[in-house]
Amino acid sequence: MTVEKKEIRIAVTDGMLIPSSKDKSFVSAWMISLCIAVGSILFLCITKPKPYYEILKFLPDGILITFEVTIASIIVTIPIGLITGLGRLSKNKTINLIASTYVEIIRGIPLLVQLFFIYFALGEFVQLPDLTAAIIAMSVCYGAYMGEVFRAGIDAIDKGQTEAARSLGFNPRQTMFLVVLPQAWRTILPPVGNEFIALLKDSSLVSILAVSELLRRGREYASVTFEYFEAYLMVALIYLCITLLMSKAVSIMEARLNYYDER
Amino acid sequence: MTNANTPIIQIRNVYKFFGQLTALNDVCLDIQPGEKVVVIGPSGSGKSTMLRSINRLETVDKGSIIVDGKDVNDPANDINAIRQELGMVFQSFNLFPHRTVIGNLTMAPTRLKKVPKDEAEATALSLLKKVGISDKAHVYPSNLSGGQKQRVAIARALAMQPKIMLFDEPTSALDPEMIGEVLDVMVNLAREGMTMVCVTHEMGFAREVADRIVFMDQGQILEVGTPDHFFTNPEHPRLQKFLEQIL
Repeated sequence: MTVEKKEIRIAVTDGMLIPSSKDKSFVSAWMISLCIAVGSILFLCITKPKPYYEILKFLPDGILITFEVTIASIIVTIPIGLITGLGRLSKNKTINLIASTYVEIIRGIPLLVQLFFIYFALGEFVQLPDLTAAIIAMSVCYGAYMGEVFRAGIDAIDKGQTEAARSLGFNPRQTMFLVVLPQAWRTILPPVGNEFIALLKDSSLVSILAVSELLRRGREYASVTFEYFEAYLMVALIYLCITLLMSKAVSIMEARLNYYDER
Repeated sequence: MTNANTPIIQIRNVYKFFGQLTALNDVCLDIQPGEKVVVIGPSGSGKSTMLRSINRLETVDKGSIIVDGKDVNDPANDINAIRQELGMVFQSFNLFPHRTVIGNLTMAPTRLKKVPKDEAEATALSLLKKVGISDKAHVYPSNLSGGQKQRVAIARALAMQPKIMLFDEPTSALDPEMIGEVLDVMVNLAREGMTMVCVTHEMGFAREVADRIVFMDQGQILEVGTPDHFFTNPEHPRLQKFLEQIL
Protein backbone atom coordinates (compact mmCIF):
# COMPACT_ATOMS: atom_id res chain seq x y z
CA MET A 1 0.00 0.00 0.00
CA THR A 2 1.31 3.43 -0.85
CA VAL A 3 1.04 6.18 1.70
CA GLU A 4 -0.63 9.17 0.16
CA LYS A 5 1.07 12.46 0.71
CA LYS A 6 -1.12 15.08 2.25
CA GLU A 7 -1.66 17.89 -0.15
CA ILE A 8 -2.23 21.41 1.01
CA ARG A 9 -3.98 23.58 -1.48
CA ILE A 10 -4.48 27.29 -1.50
CA ALA A 11 -7.33 28.25 -3.77
CA VAL A 12 -7.37 31.92 -4.60
CA THR A 13 -9.40 32.97 -7.59
CA ASP A 14 -9.38 36.17 -9.52
CA GLY A 15 -13.16 36.61 -9.70
CA MET A 16 -15.00 37.55 -6.52
CA LEU A 17 -15.64 36.14 -3.10
CA ILE A 18 -18.84 34.18 -3.59
CA PRO A 19 -21.03 34.97 -0.57
CA SER A 20 -21.85 31.80 1.37
CA SER A 21 -25.47 30.79 0.83
CA LYS A 22 -25.58 29.58 4.44
CA ASP A 23 -24.61 32.97 5.82
CA LYS A 24 -27.93 34.53 6.81
CA SER A 25 -26.58 37.48 8.76
CA PHE A 26 -27.43 40.88 7.31
CA VAL A 27 -24.01 42.44 7.81
CA SER A 28 -21.53 40.81 5.45
CA ALA A 29 -18.63 41.97 3.32
CA TRP A 30 -20.95 41.63 0.35
CA MET A 31 -23.66 43.79 1.91
CA ILE A 32 -21.19 46.49 3.03
CA SER A 33 -19.58 46.61 -0.42
CA LEU A 34 -22.93 46.91 -2.15
CA CYS A 35 -24.02 49.68 0.21
CA ILE A 36 -20.78 51.55 -0.45
CA ALA A 37 -21.16 51.18 -4.23
CA VAL A 38 -24.84 52.06 -4.50
CA GLY A 39 -24.62 54.68 -1.75
CA SER A 40 -21.70 56.43 -3.41
CA ILE A 41 -23.43 56.57 -6.79
CA LEU A 42 -26.60 57.98 -5.23
CA PHE A 43 -24.70 60.41 -3.04
CA LEU A 44 -22.59 61.73 -5.91
CA CYS A 45 -25.50 62.05 -8.33
CA ILE A 46 -27.64 63.88 -5.78
CA THR A 47 -25.04 66.20 -4.30
CA LYS A 48 -23.12 66.88 -7.52
CA PRO A 49 -25.48 66.04 -10.40
CA LYS A 50 -23.10 67.88 -12.67
CA PRO A 51 -20.92 66.04 -13.72
CA TYR A 52 -21.85 62.75 -11.97
CA TYR A 53 -25.45 62.45 -13.09
CA GLU A 54 -24.35 63.50 -16.60
CA ILE A 55 -21.77 60.70 -16.59
CA LEU A 56 -24.33 58.18 -15.31
CA LYS A 57 -26.64 59.05 -18.20
CA PHE A 58 -23.78 58.67 -20.66
CA LEU A 59 -22.71 55.17 -19.57
CA PRO A 60 -25.68 52.77 -20.12
CA ASP A 61 -24.76 52.13 -23.79
CA GLY A 62 -21.38 50.94 -22.57
CA ILE A 63 -22.92 48.74 -19.86
CA LEU A 64 -25.01 47.11 -22.56
CA ILE A 65 -21.94 46.36 -24.69
CA THR A 66 -20.10 45.01 -21.64
CA PHE A 67 -22.98 42.63 -21.03
CA GLU A 68 -23.08 41.67 -24.69
CA VAL A 69 -19.38 40.80 -24.73
CA THR A 70 -19.63 38.95 -21.42
CA ILE A 71 -22.74 36.91 -22.18
CA ALA A 72 -21.69 36.00 -25.71
CA SER A 73 -18.25 34.99 -24.45
CA ILE A 74 -19.78 32.86 -21.69
CA ILE A 75 -21.99 31.06 -24.20
CA VAL A 76 -19.02 30.26 -26.43
CA THR A 77 -16.72 29.51 -23.50
CA ILE A 78 -18.80 26.76 -21.89
CA PRO A 79 -18.59 24.25 -24.77
CA ILE A 80 -14.90 25.10 -25.34
CA GLY A 81 -14.24 24.59 -21.63
CA LEU A 82 -16.18 21.32 -21.51
CA ILE A 83 -14.38 19.91 -24.54
CA THR A 84 -11.01 21.06 -23.19
CA GLY A 85 -11.73 19.61 -19.74
CA LEU A 86 -12.81 16.25 -21.18
CA GLY A 87 -9.77 16.33 -23.47
CA ARG A 88 -7.47 16.91 -20.52
CA LEU A 89 -8.99 13.84 -18.82
CA SER A 90 -8.93 11.71 -21.97
CA LYS A 91 -6.88 8.52 -21.93
CA ASN A 92 -6.25 9.09 -25.65
CA LYS A 93 -2.72 10.52 -25.68
CA THR A 94 -3.19 12.70 -28.79
CA ILE A 95 -6.42 14.31 -27.59
CA ASN A 96 -4.94 14.82 -24.15
CA LEU A 97 -1.84 16.44 -25.59
CA ILE A 98 -3.80 18.78 -27.84
CA ALA A 99 -6.01 19.94 -24.96
CA SER A 100 -3.08 20.33 -22.57
CA THR A 101 -1.03 22.28 -25.10
CA TYR A 102 -3.94 24.64 -25.74
CA VAL A 103 -4.31 25.29 -22.01
CA GLU A 104 -0.56 25.72 -21.56
CA ILE A 105 -0.16 28.20 -24.39
CA ILE A 106 -3.19 30.29 -23.49
CA ARG A 107 -2.31 30.47 -19.82
CA GLY A 108 1.19 31.61 -20.63
CA ILE A 109 0.19 34.66 -22.62
CA PRO A 110 -1.39 37.75 -21.07
CA LEU A 111 -4.98 38.27 -22.11
CA LEU A 112 -4.23 41.75 -23.40
CA VAL A 113 -1.52 40.39 -25.70
CA GLN A 114 -3.87 37.63 -26.88
CA LEU A 115 -6.55 40.19 -27.63
CA PHE A 116 -4.16 42.20 -29.80
CA PHE A 117 -2.83 39.08 -31.45
CA ILE A 118 -6.18 37.46 -32.27
CA TYR A 119 -7.66 40.78 -33.34
CA PHE A 120 -4.86 41.57 -35.77
CA ALA A 121 -4.20 37.96 -36.81
CA LEU A 122 -7.87 37.52 -37.65
CA GLY A 123 -7.72 40.84 -39.47
CA GLU A 124 -5.11 39.39 -41.84
CA PHE A 125 -7.61 36.84 -43.18
CA VAL A 126 -11.14 38.04 -42.52
CA GLN A 127 -12.66 41.38 -41.81
CA LEU A 128 -14.69 40.82 -38.65
CA PRO A 129 -16.69 43.42 -36.76
CA ASP A 130 -14.71 44.58 -33.71
CA LEU A 131 -17.29 43.18 -31.33
CA THR A 132 -17.11 39.69 -32.89
CA ALA A 133 -13.32 39.70 -32.82
CA ALA A 134 -13.39 40.69 -29.17
CA ILE A 135 -15.82 37.91 -28.30
CA ILE A 136 -13.73 35.30 -30.14
CA ALA A 137 -10.57 36.42 -28.37
CA MET A 138 -12.20 36.40 -24.92
CA SER A 139 -13.72 32.95 -25.55
CA VAL A 140 -10.49 31.35 -26.74
CA CYS A 141 -8.74 32.63 -23.66
CA TYR A 142 -11.40 31.83 -21.07
CA GLY A 143 -12.07 28.44 -22.69
CA ALA A 144 -8.66 27.37 -21.44
CA TYR A 145 -9.31 28.61 -17.89
CA MET A 146 -12.76 27.05 -17.91
CA GLY A 147 -11.28 23.79 -19.20
CA GLU A 148 -9.22 23.54 -16.03
CA VAL A 149 -12.29 24.15 -13.87
CA PHE A 150 -14.27 21.47 -15.73
CA ARG A 151 -11.36 19.06 -15.48
CA ALA A 152 -11.07 19.51 -11.72
CA GLY A 153 -14.83 19.23 -11.22
CA ILE A 154 -15.17 16.04 -13.23
CA ASP A 155 -12.07 14.56 -11.64
CA ALA A 156 -13.49 15.19 -8.18
CA ILE A 157 -16.47 12.87 -8.73
CA ASP A 158 -15.94 9.54 -6.96
CA LYS A 159 -14.74 6.79 -9.31
CA GLY A 160 -17.38 4.55 -7.73
CA GLN A 161 -20.04 6.56 -9.57
CA THR A 162 -18.48 5.73 -12.91
CA GLU A 163 -18.05 2.09 -11.94
CA ALA A 164 -21.68 1.82 -10.83
CA ALA A 165 -22.91 3.32 -14.10
CA ARG A 166 -20.61 1.19 -16.25
CA SER A 167 -21.57 -1.99 -14.38
CA LEU A 168 -25.24 -1.27 -15.12
CA GLY A 169 -24.33 -1.28 -18.80
CA PHE A 170 -24.03 2.44 -19.59
CA ASN A 171 -21.36 3.33 -22.15
CA PRO A 172 -18.72 5.97 -21.32
CA ARG A 173 -20.68 8.80 -22.96
CA GLN A 174 -23.94 7.97 -21.16
CA THR A 175 -21.98 7.65 -17.92
CA MET A 176 -20.52 11.11 -18.42
CA PHE A 177 -23.76 12.86 -19.31
CA LEU A 178 -26.20 11.01 -17.03
CA VAL A 179 -24.09 10.43 -13.94
CA VAL A 180 -20.82 12.38 -13.78
CA LEU A 181 -21.63 15.80 -15.28
CA PRO A 182 -24.92 16.34 -13.41
CA GLN A 183 -22.97 15.88 -10.18
CA ALA A 184 -19.85 17.73 -11.31
CA TRP A 185 -21.92 20.76 -12.27
CA ARG A 186 -22.55 21.42 -8.60
CA THR A 187 -18.90 21.44 -7.57
CA ILE A 188 -18.03 23.38 -10.69
CA LEU A 189 -20.62 26.12 -10.35
CA PRO A 190 -18.89 28.39 -7.81
CA PRO A 191 -15.54 28.44 -9.68
CA VAL A 192 -17.37 28.74 -13.02
CA GLY A 193 -19.36 31.66 -11.65
CA ASN A 194 -16.10 33.13 -10.50
CA GLU A 195 -14.64 32.79 -13.99
CA PHE A 196 -17.70 34.57 -15.39
CA ILE A 197 -17.14 37.46 -13.00
CA ALA A 198 -13.46 37.56 -13.91
CA LEU A 199 -14.52 37.49 -17.56
CA LEU A 200 -16.83 40.46 -17.07
CA LYS A 201 -14.02 42.42 -15.43
CA ASP A 202 -11.54 41.44 -18.14
CA SER A 203 -14.03 42.54 -20.79
CA SER A 204 -12.78 46.04 -19.94
CA LEU A 205 -9.63 45.09 -21.85
CA VAL A 206 -11.51 44.96 -25.15
CA SER A 207 -11.89 48.73 -24.88
CA ILE A 208 -8.54 48.88 -26.67
CA LEU A 209 -10.12 47.14 -29.68
CA ALA A 210 -12.39 50.11 -30.30
CA VAL A 211 -15.31 48.29 -28.71
CA SER A 212 -17.37 50.87 -26.94
CA GLU A 213 -17.98 49.05 -23.66
CA LEU A 214 -18.28 50.55 -20.21
CA LEU A 215 -14.66 51.59 -19.68
CA ARG A 216 -14.29 53.06 -23.16
CA ARG A 217 -17.56 54.93 -22.75
CA GLY A 218 -16.13 56.51 -19.62
CA ARG A 219 -12.99 57.50 -21.47
CA GLU A 220 -15.02 58.93 -24.35
CA TYR A 221 -16.89 61.11 -21.89
CA ALA A 222 -13.71 62.25 -20.17
CA SER A 223 -11.87 63.01 -23.39
CA VAL A 224 -14.46 65.67 -24.12
CA THR A 225 -14.92 67.16 -20.67
CA PHE A 226 -11.48 66.33 -19.19
CA GLU A 227 -13.22 65.06 -16.04
CA TYR A 228 -11.11 61.92 -15.92
CA PHE A 229 -11.32 61.35 -12.18
CA GLU A 230 -15.09 61.71 -12.08
CA ALA A 231 -15.69 59.51 -15.13
CA TYR A 232 -13.45 56.67 -13.96
CA LEU A 233 -14.90 56.84 -10.46
CA MET A 234 -18.39 56.21 -11.84
CA VAL A 235 -17.09 53.46 -14.10
CA ALA A 236 -15.42 51.75 -11.14
CA LEU A 237 -18.56 51.98 -9.00
CA ILE A 238 -20.73 50.55 -11.74
CA TYR A 239 -18.35 47.64 -12.31
CA LEU A 240 -18.46 46.99 -8.58
CA CYS A 241 -22.26 46.96 -8.52
CA ILE A 242 -22.42 44.52 -11.43
CA THR A 243 -19.85 42.07 -10.05
CA LEU A 244 -21.45 42.15 -6.59
CA LEU A 245 -24.84 41.31 -8.06
CA MET A 246 -23.29 38.53 -10.15
CA SER A 247 -21.59 36.97 -7.14
CA LYS A 248 -24.90 36.98 -5.30
CA ALA A 249 -26.60 35.33 -8.26
CA VAL A 250 -23.96 32.58 -8.26
CA SER A 251 -24.48 32.07 -4.55
CA ILE A 252 -28.25 31.69 -5.02
CA MET A 253 -27.78 29.21 -7.87
CA GLU A 254 -25.35 27.25 -5.74
CA ALA A 255 -27.93 26.91 -2.99
CA ARG A 256 -30.51 25.74 -5.51
CA LEU A 257 -28.19 22.99 -6.73
CA ASN A 258 -27.87 21.58 -3.23
CA TYR A 259 -31.35 20.08 -3.50
CA TYR A 260 -30.24 16.49 -3.06
CA ASP A 261 -28.13 17.04 0.03
CA GLU A 262 -28.97 15.78 3.45
CA ARG A 263 -31.71 17.74 5.12
CA MET B 1 -32.04 -21.75 -21.05
CA THR B 2 -28.44 -22.62 -20.52
CA ASN B 3 -27.58 -26.27 -20.21
CA ALA B 4 -27.16 -27.14 -16.54
CA ASN B 5 -23.76 -28.62 -17.26
CA THR B 6 -22.38 -25.52 -18.96
CA PRO B 7 -20.87 -23.10 -16.46
CA ILE B 8 -22.39 -19.62 -16.74
CA ILE B 9 -19.05 -18.13 -15.66
CA GLN B 10 -15.75 -19.69 -16.72
CA ILE B 11 -12.59 -18.16 -15.34
CA ARG B 12 -9.60 -19.78 -17.03
CA ASN B 13 -5.94 -19.31 -16.06
CA VAL B 14 -6.35 -15.64 -15.27
CA TYR B 15 -3.41 -13.44 -14.34
CA LYS B 16 -3.50 -9.80 -13.30
CA PHE B 17 -0.49 -7.67 -12.42
CA PHE B 18 -0.38 -4.33 -10.63
CA GLY B 19 3.22 -3.31 -11.32
CA GLN B 20 5.35 -5.81 -9.41
CA LEU B 21 2.38 -7.23 -7.55
CA THR B 22 0.63 -10.33 -8.88
CA ALA B 23 -2.99 -9.67 -7.97
CA LEU B 24 -4.35 -12.79 -9.69
CA ASN B 25 -2.10 -15.77 -10.16
CA ASP B 26 -3.43 -18.50 -12.47
CA VAL B 27 -7.02 -18.32 -11.21
CA CYS B 28 -9.46 -20.92 -12.55
CA LEU B 29 -13.09 -21.16 -11.46
CA ASP B 30 -16.29 -22.42 -13.05
CA ILE B 31 -19.66 -21.32 -11.75
CA GLN B 32 -22.87 -23.11 -12.67
CA PRO B 33 -26.19 -21.34 -13.31
CA GLY B 34 -28.06 -20.92 -10.03
CA GLU B 35 -24.97 -21.58 -7.98
CA LYS B 36 -24.06 -19.42 -4.98
CA VAL B 37 -20.33 -18.98 -4.56
CA VAL B 38 -18.85 -17.14 -1.62
CA VAL B 39 -15.27 -15.93 -1.90
CA ILE B 40 -13.30 -15.41 1.30
CA GLY B 41 -9.72 -14.54 2.10
CA PRO B 42 -7.53 -11.96 3.80
CA SER B 43 -7.45 -8.42 2.43
CA GLY B 44 -5.20 -8.06 -0.57
CA SER B 45 -5.78 -11.69 -1.53
CA GLY B 46 -7.21 -10.75 -4.92
CA LYS B 47 -10.82 -11.71 -4.22
CA SER B 48 -12.26 -8.30 -5.15
CA THR B 49 -10.00 -8.11 -8.20
CA MET B 50 -11.30 -11.48 -9.38
CA LEU B 51 -14.91 -10.41 -8.86
CA ARG B 52 -14.35 -7.09 -10.64
CA SER B 53 -12.68 -8.79 -13.57
CA ILE B 54 -15.86 -10.82 -14.20
CA ASN B 55 -17.62 -7.67 -15.45
CA ARG B 56 -14.36 -6.14 -16.67
CA LEU B 57 -14.13 -3.33 -14.16
CA GLU B 58 -10.60 -4.75 -14.07
CA THR B 59 -9.04 -6.02 -17.26
CA VAL B 60 -6.98 -9.17 -16.87
CA ASP B 61 -3.48 -9.51 -18.32
CA LYS B 62 -3.65 -13.20 -19.23
CA GLY B 63 -6.29 -15.89 -19.45
CA SER B 64 -9.97 -15.67 -20.31
CA ILE B 65 -13.25 -15.00 -18.56
CA ILE B 66 -16.37 -16.25 -20.31
CA VAL B 67 -19.77 -15.10 -19.07
CA ASP B 68 -22.83 -16.80 -20.52
CA GLY B 69 -20.82 -17.94 -23.54
CA LYS B 70 -19.21 -14.56 -24.24
CA ASP B 71 -15.57 -13.69 -23.63
CA VAL B 72 -15.66 -10.41 -21.67
CA ASN B 73 -12.21 -9.38 -22.90
CA ASP B 74 -12.94 -9.96 -26.59
CA PRO B 75 -13.29 -6.51 -28.21
CA ALA B 76 -15.77 -8.05 -30.67
CA ASN B 77 -18.24 -8.56 -27.83
CA ASP B 78 -20.22 -5.56 -26.59
CA ILE B 79 -19.11 -5.25 -22.98
CA ASN B 80 -22.07 -2.97 -22.18
CA ALA B 81 -24.47 -5.73 -23.23
CA ILE B 82 -22.58 -8.32 -21.17
CA ARG B 83 -22.64 -6.02 -18.14
CA GLN B 84 -26.43 -5.79 -18.36
CA GLU B 85 -26.50 -9.49 -17.49
CA LEU B 86 -24.27 -8.93 -14.45
CA GLY B 87 -25.69 -7.01 -11.50
CA MET B 88 -23.00 -5.51 -9.30
CA VAL B 89 -23.24 -4.39 -5.68
CA PHE B 90 -20.37 -2.38 -4.22
CA GLN B 91 -18.99 -1.99 -0.74
CA SER B 92 -19.61 1.75 -0.84
CA PHE B 93 -23.13 1.49 -2.39
CA ASN B 94 -22.38 3.99 -5.17
CA LEU B 95 -25.97 5.17 -5.47
CA PHE B 96 -26.44 8.15 -7.76
CA PRO B 97 -26.91 11.02 -5.26
CA HIS B 98 -28.57 13.34 -7.79
CA ARG B 99 -31.44 10.92 -8.44
CA THR B 100 -34.20 9.82 -6.08
CA VAL B 101 -34.33 6.20 -5.00
CA ILE B 102 -36.82 5.35 -7.74
CA GLY B 103 -34.76 7.38 -10.20
CA ASN B 104 -31.75 5.23 -9.35
CA LEU B 105 -33.80 2.12 -10.12
CA THR B 106 -35.42 3.27 -13.35
CA MET B 107 -32.48 5.05 -15.00
CA ALA B 108 -30.82 1.98 -16.52
CA PRO B 109 -33.95 0.08 -17.62
CA THR B 110 -35.52 3.13 -19.30
CA ARG B 111 -32.31 4.26 -21.02
CA LEU B 112 -30.75 0.91 -21.90
CA LYS B 113 -33.68 -1.44 -22.35
CA LYS B 114 -36.16 1.22 -23.50
CA VAL B 115 -38.65 0.08 -20.89
CA PRO B 116 -41.57 2.59 -20.77
CA LYS B 117 -41.30 4.89 -17.75
CA ASP B 118 -44.48 3.76 -15.98
CA GLU B 119 -43.60 0.11 -16.44
CA ALA B 120 -40.06 0.70 -15.10
CA GLU B 121 -41.51 2.54 -12.10
CA ALA B 122 -43.94 -0.29 -11.35
CA THR B 123 -41.08 -2.80 -11.47
CA ALA B 124 -38.96 -0.49 -9.31
CA LEU B 125 -41.71 -0.20 -6.69
CA SER B 126 -42.14 -3.96 -6.49
CA LEU B 127 -38.37 -4.37 -6.11
CA LEU B 128 -38.31 -1.76 -3.36
CA LYS B 129 -41.12 -3.63 -1.64
CA LYS B 130 -39.06 -6.79 -1.91
CA VAL B 131 -36.08 -5.17 -0.20
CA GLY B 132 -38.40 -3.57 2.36
CA ILE B 133 -38.15 0.15 1.62
CA SER B 134 -41.08 1.03 -0.61
CA ASP B 135 -41.82 4.05 1.59
CA LYS B 136 -38.52 5.67 0.59
CA ALA B 137 -39.09 5.63 -3.18
CA HIS B 138 -39.10 9.39 -3.61
CA VAL B 139 -36.33 10.52 -1.27
CA TYR B 140 -32.74 11.19 -2.26
CA PRO B 141 -30.10 8.64 -1.22
CA SER B 142 -28.48 11.08 1.23
CA ASN B 143 -31.53 10.65 3.46
CA LEU B 144 -31.09 6.89 3.80
CA SER B 145 -29.15 4.87 6.35
CA GLY B 146 -26.26 2.69 5.17
CA GLY B 147 -28.35 -0.48 5.29
CA GLN B 148 -31.15 1.18 3.33
CA LYS B 149 -28.66 2.47 0.76
CA GLN B 150 -27.24 -0.98 0.20
CA ARG B 151 -30.71 -2.48 -0.17
CA VAL B 152 -31.53 0.19 -2.77
CA ALA B 153 -28.25 -0.66 -4.53
CA ILE B 154 -29.26 -4.32 -4.68
CA ALA B 155 -32.69 -3.34 -6.03
CA ARG B 156 -31.04 -1.08 -8.62
CA ALA B 157 -28.93 -3.98 -9.88
CA LEU B 158 -31.97 -6.28 -9.93
CA ALA B 159 -33.97 -3.74 -11.95
CA MET B 160 -31.93 -4.71 -15.01
CA GLN B 161 -33.01 -8.33 -14.47
CA PRO B 162 -29.48 -9.71 -14.55
CA LYS B 163 -28.70 -13.41 -14.75
CA ILE B 164 -25.89 -13.13 -12.24
CA MET B 165 -25.35 -10.94 -9.18
CA LEU B 166 -21.87 -9.95 -8.06
CA PHE B 167 -21.40 -8.69 -4.50
CA ASP B 168 -18.16 -6.96 -3.54
CA GLU B 169 -18.07 -6.93 0.29
CA PRO B 170 -21.63 -5.58 0.47
CA THR B 171 -21.71 -5.35 4.27
CA SER B 172 -18.16 -4.17 5.03
CA ALA B 173 -19.03 -0.48 5.14
CA LEU B 174 -22.11 -0.94 7.30
CA ASP B 175 -22.69 -0.38 11.01
CA PRO B 176 -23.05 -3.78 12.70
CA GLU B 177 -26.76 -3.36 13.41
CA MET B 178 -27.48 -2.83 9.71
CA ILE B 179 -25.67 -5.88 8.38
CA GLY B 180 -28.58 -8.20 9.16
CA GLU B 181 -31.14 -6.34 7.00
CA VAL B 182 -28.84 -6.48 3.97
CA LEU B 183 -27.95 -10.14 4.48
CA ASP B 184 -31.66 -10.98 4.76
CA VAL B 185 -32.25 -9.51 1.32
CA MET B 186 -29.31 -11.50 -0.07
CA VAL B 187 -30.52 -14.75 1.53
CA ASN B 188 -33.97 -14.24 -0.02
CA LEU B 189 -32.36 -13.59 -3.38
CA ALA B 190 -30.36 -16.80 -3.05
CA ARG B 191 -33.53 -18.77 -2.24
CA GLU B 192 -35.12 -17.47 -5.43
CA GLY B 193 -32.38 -19.21 -7.38
CA MET B 194 -30.24 -16.26 -8.47
CA THR B 195 -26.68 -17.07 -9.49
CA MET B 196 -24.53 -15.23 -6.98
CA VAL B 197 -20.84 -14.57 -6.52
CA CYS B 198 -20.20 -12.88 -3.22
CA VAL B 199 -16.98 -11.59 -1.70
CA THR B 200 -17.63 -11.26 2.02
CA HIS B 201 -16.34 -11.72 5.53
CA GLU B 202 -19.74 -12.84 6.81
CA MET B 203 -19.10 -16.47 7.68
CA GLY B 204 -22.64 -17.03 8.92
CA PHE B 205 -23.96 -15.99 5.52
CA ALA B 206 -21.40 -18.21 3.78
CA ARG B 207 -22.44 -21.20 5.86
CA GLU B 208 -26.12 -20.58 5.25
CA VAL B 209 -26.35 -19.91 1.52
CA ALA B 210 -23.11 -20.94 -0.22
CA ASP B 211 -23.07 -23.97 -2.45
CA ARG B 212 -19.33 -23.61 -2.57
CA ILE B 213 -16.83 -21.46 -0.73
CA VAL B 214 -13.64 -20.29 -2.42
CA PHE B 215 -10.61 -19.37 -0.32
CA MET B 216 -8.04 -17.03 -1.88
CA ASP B 217 -4.67 -15.83 -0.70
CA GLN B 218 -1.96 -13.87 -2.53
CA GLY B 219 -3.83 -13.98 -5.82
CA GLN B 220 -4.37 -17.71 -5.82
CA ILE B 221 -7.35 -19.95 -5.15
CA LEU B 222 -6.08 -22.25 -2.42
CA GLU B 223 -9.19 -24.24 -1.61
CA VAL B 224 -12.72 -24.73 -2.94
CA GLY B 225 -15.35 -26.70 -1.11
CA THR B 226 -18.80 -26.95 0.43
CA PRO B 227 -19.45 -25.01 3.64
CA ASP B 228 -19.49 -28.33 5.52
CA HIS B 229 -16.06 -29.23 4.30
CA PHE B 230 -14.79 -25.72 4.92
CA PHE B 231 -15.82 -25.30 8.49
CA THR B 232 -15.32 -28.91 9.70
CA ASN B 233 -12.10 -30.04 8.06
CA PRO B 234 -10.28 -27.32 6.13
CA GLU B 235 -7.20 -28.78 4.45
CA HIS B 236 -4.85 -25.97 3.47
CA PRO B 237 -2.79 -24.74 6.47
CA ARG B 238 -3.28 -21.12 5.33
CA LEU B 239 -7.05 -21.59 5.42
CA GLN B 240 -6.88 -23.28 8.83
CA LYS B 241 -4.97 -20.28 10.16
CA PHE B 242 -7.38 -17.81 8.50
CA LEU B 243 -10.44 -19.53 9.97
CA GLU B 244 -8.82 -19.70 13.40
CA GLN B 245 -8.32 -15.97 13.34
CA ILE B 246 -11.80 -14.96 12.26
CA LEU B 247 -14.05 -17.54 13.93
